[in-house]
Amino acid sequence: MANREREDSDDGNPRAKRPKIEGEANGKTRAQNGFGGDAANDPSKNPYLQHRYPQATGGGGRLDNSMRHKTTTKATEALENGPNNPFTGSKFSQRYMGILQTRRDLPVHAQRDQFLDKYQKNQILVFVGETGSGKTTQIPQFVLYDDLPHLNGKMVACTQPRRVAAMSVAQRVAQEMDVTLGEEVGYSIRFEDKTGPNTMLKYMTDGMLLREAMSDNNLSRYSTIILDEAHERTLATDILMGLLKEVVLRRPNDLKLIIMSATLDANKFQKYFHNAPLLAVPGRTHPVEIFYTPEPERDYVEAALRTVLQIHAIEPAGDILLFMTGEEEIEDACRKIRLEVEEMVRESDAGPLTVYPLYGSLPPQQQQKIFDPAPPPNSHGGRPGRKCIISTNIAETSLTIDGIVYVVDPGFSKQKVYNPRIRVESLLVSPISAASAQQRAGRAGRTRPGKCFRLYTEKAFKEELIPQTYPEILRSNLSSTVLELKKLGIDDLVHFDLMDPPAPETLMRALEELNYLACLDDEGDLTQLGRLASDFPLDPALAVMLIVAPDFYCSNEMLSLTALLSVPTLFVRPAAQRKRADDMKNLFAHTDGDHLTMLNVYHAFKSDEAQANPKQWCHDHFLSHRALTQADNVRMQLKRIMEKNEIELMSTPFEDKRYYENIRRALVAGFFMQVAKRDGNGKTYMTVKDHQSVLLHPSTVLGHDSEWVIYQEFVLTSKNYIRTVTAIKPEWLLELAPTYFDLSTFKDGEIKRSLLRTANKLKSKEFATKGRK
Amino acid sequence: MAGSEDEDDYMSMAIAEPTQPLAETSIQRVARKKREAALKAQVKSKAEKAADEVAAREAALATPLLDTSNKGFKMMAKLGFKHGDTLGADKGGRAEPIQVVLKEDRGGIGLDTEKKRKFREQVNHEAKRVKADEVEYRERVRLEREEIKREGQIWNAQRVAEELTSKAKEASGPLLEPKVTMPTPKTAGQPLSSINVLWRGLVRQRLESDGEKRMRHSLKSVRSRLPTYEDPDLDREDLLALGRDEKAGVFEEEVEEEFEGEDPELDDFNALPSEQRLERLVIYLRQEHHYCFWCKYQYSDEEAMGDCPGITEDDHD
Repeated sequence: MANREREDSDDGNPRAKRPKIEGEANGKTRAQNGFGGDAANDPSKNPYLQHRYPQATGGGGRLDNSMRHKTTTKATEALENGPNNPFTGSKFSQRYMGILQTRRDLPVHAQRDQFLDKYQKNQILVFVGETGSGKTTQIPQFVLYDDLPHLNGKMVACTQPRRVAAMSVAQRVAQEMDVTLGEEVGYSIRFEDKTGPNTMLKYMTDGMLLREAMSDNNLSRYSTIILDEAHERTLATDILMGLLKEVVLRRPNDLKLIIMSATLDANKFQKYFHNAPLLAVPGRTHPVEIFYTPEPERDYVEAALRTVLQIHAIEPAGDILLFMTGEEEIEDACRKIRLEVEEMVRESDAGPLTVYPLYGSLPPQQQQKIFDPAPPPNSHGGRPGRKCIISTNIAETSLTIDGIVYVVDPGFSKQKVYNPRIRVESLLVSPISAASAQQRAGRAGRTRPGKCFRLYTEKAFKEELIPQTYPEILRSNLSSTVLELKKLGIDDLVHFDLMDPPAPETLMRALEELNYLACLDDEGDLTQLGRLASDFPLDPALAVMLIVAPDFYCSNEMLSLTALLSVPTLFVRPAAQRKRADDMKNLFAHTDGDHLTMLNVYHAFKSDEAQANPKQWCHDHFLSHRALTQADNVRMQLKRIMEKNEIELMSTPFEDKRYYENIRRALVAGFFMQVAKRDGNGKTYMTVKDHQSVLLHPSTVLGHDSEWVIYQEFVLTSKNYIRTVTAIKPEWLLELAPTYFDLSTFKDGEIKRSLLRTANKLKSKEFATKGRK
Repeated sequence: MAGSEDEDDYMSMAIAEPTQPLAETSIQRVARKKREAALKAQVKSKAEKAADEVAAREAALATPLLDTSNKGFKMMAKLGFKHGDTLGADKGGRAEPIQVVLKEDRGGIGLDTEKKRKFREQVNHEAKRVKADEVEYRERVRLEREEIKREGQIWNAQRVAEELTSKAKEASGPLLEPKVTMPTPKTAGQPLSSINVLWRGLVRQRLESDGEKRMRHSLKSVRSRLPTYEDPDLDREDLLALGRDEKAGVFEEEVEEEFEGEDPELDDFNALPSEQRLERLVIYLRQEHHYCFWCKYQYSDEEAMGDCPGITEDDHD
């Protein structure tokens, strides 16, 4: 039994390690693999390989047309059975045959006939398959065998909301199809493209497909587009749906669209896509018993810990999955549970319990640990061991962990919230939706009947939870999106057919911001700068900052800084060594603020001393090696875009006293809408125009009390904070962003008065200079 | 506004400053500067700051942005957007941004609502209890009084019934007002169960109290001849000789027998509410004796009874 379970988890989980069996040899020597005279084995006779033998087939085109969209399950299964890979011609490996059997056991396989029928007859199809049905890995392969995109020089795209998912699923499918990742099957995520000329199936983030649409409005490279995990309703998926709704009309005969969702609330998708047909595949799930608390909990964290320990003490063997909101909460819970369990083992002979944290910013090899089997009993015949995974809502839909029998759900998650009225985009701890709660509970029934402990009352579940999580488009700043839509050629943003249109104020704010950034003119049309900015996969303010950087003789530095701002935090601050970590950070501190400090870190990282052993160096300096290498990669990608657009790369000589000032001025050119002024002599700052009282985030490095600062982020927690802050001078604001700082539009108050004084000073200075001339 | 010394006034100095119609005097200026400086120097407490912060945020969150002078709005207006519209192909979009709700504690889902609900409930309950108490108390006192009054009426009615019945037995005598008199020996001599249940309770009670009296009396008389003991060998004559009241002993036995005996009929009657008991007595008196309890008058016959206003007390008001 244990053996079988391990096998399952190995195959069912897309991120599981696998031996690298297909080395270079496999890819390169394929042609001479010697499967000579046998006709069935002759790749040149294989209809799927006709494109590789143009001289041999001659009338191959006719054959293609006769096969395309007319295949049957029986015929394709025969091809899948081998012995040769119909797409590459090489002999299927032993491993392939093993996986094939597992694939055929997946619930989607039972409905392959139905799927092919609906796919062949319709342009749009809504496909519902619960987590674990195998839809993400199998449906694109079903499509490949019927759509034969490579014969027409097209591809099949399958979008994923998350980068990790796109990468890991592509890897898994490459393995299932017995091909090299990056060849026939590849992936494309922001700042990383692993595809090649032979690629026929491309897993990609929804954001990447959207970017591609900007340069190819009809997405003509694709013959089938699969939008996976559509129920997650990410911003990019929502925009893509609106876009594809129009594209399918323009390409009625050569584009098919499949919307895949994991929830049964698919009617909304059907309705949106002109009543497209629906195909539903049940997941392979077991019943889950749900328990509620009789009374609302006073402290959900404490209640969660208590519940986990109780499960461990009295429930039969089976792993535990606990949902928490964020890194800090998760690490804290891990520590406490470990301590308590130690005591339980000592005092009441409890079984061993291994605790694993799981959250987005955790290094991949540590994320991988959650798939380790549960520990064995402490002694032979002792109480069974189990593992407990404490996770953010990553484990809710995107990861499949077998062996989970108990789910503990406190009912909260961190969700992005944007409010155009105070222009704050923050992650806030909020109650989950009823749909999320169901999804979480379902995680307990993957391998056998399970139990879900909800740390709230049944009444609260029914009355307080919203039915569905708000789609991201309603919770985001839309300035990037609006720029993208403009570039996509969609001008009527007011009537653009979105599934859930956002509040008018959100669009208004986005248009206004783009206008101030000079990306849109007063008519709402894309400017030259706007067109250029949309070429960068960046927030418009960052893109503008980068584009105008040559005016400040520091485009090299701004390029590095932009890359650093596009990756997770550089600084590592383990709970046990906060003091030391802070001391190390201070080594890089720049008196004028966080942006310059980050730049110092990057420059130090690129020094010969650090590059000698970068990993060790990062570890010694409490820096994230992963984030820094990622930033390096991002920098390279951005550099390519800059070169393509002929944006000059230059630096002010480091010895020049204006070296840092130029960088700060360039920052202002992009972030003049994120400025705060200190309130009197106190610690609080006041945001310009929105008049929000804010504090500097405790992580801020600022050597002196600067009266004016720009900030990267306005964070809402129990207090209002601004994070990643740099000191600036008010003159720069008036000089570099005169439209935004048109003082006649300012409300009376301390900020206006101070700026007026600055304006007067500037004027007299100007006068003086003129007089001298 | 100028020259006004109101406490509130200097708070709005921001608006007032340079373009004041009336020039302030130097003394006023010095005073104002002093006030301003004092205000600036005053360090706000943490709680005050936090409150300010929240207030500013809430105010901004509650203020809609849509303003026709806004450039973004103008661009939207060009596309046909008007105030009050929503976005989307069929204008099915939401009108307002999603609310920002800050969670500052670790309370579980439903805790706040539960707290509010409990508080509300408690307030309601308290209010109700106070109100209910007043009404209930008055009502209870009223009912108690009525009950006492009715028990009295029942007692009276029972006595009248007994009187009239015994009179009717002796032959119809002259009409008379029933008098409160001691029971006639005749009733006492009857077995209790033969007495009408309507006033059997009265008779029984009387017998009980009589029995007690006698017992006490006999005890006294026995005690007067102490020392004493029961001697089964003593015969009647001996007892008489000893001065023991043989009769009393017998009577005692009799009464006890009667008293100890179960009387379900009487128990049932006594279990009835006082109104019903009284009603039955009144009706009995009217039907058997043409006596109206409320008129306190015995009519000659059925016909004469027609002069009586009715069977209830209310009819006689």
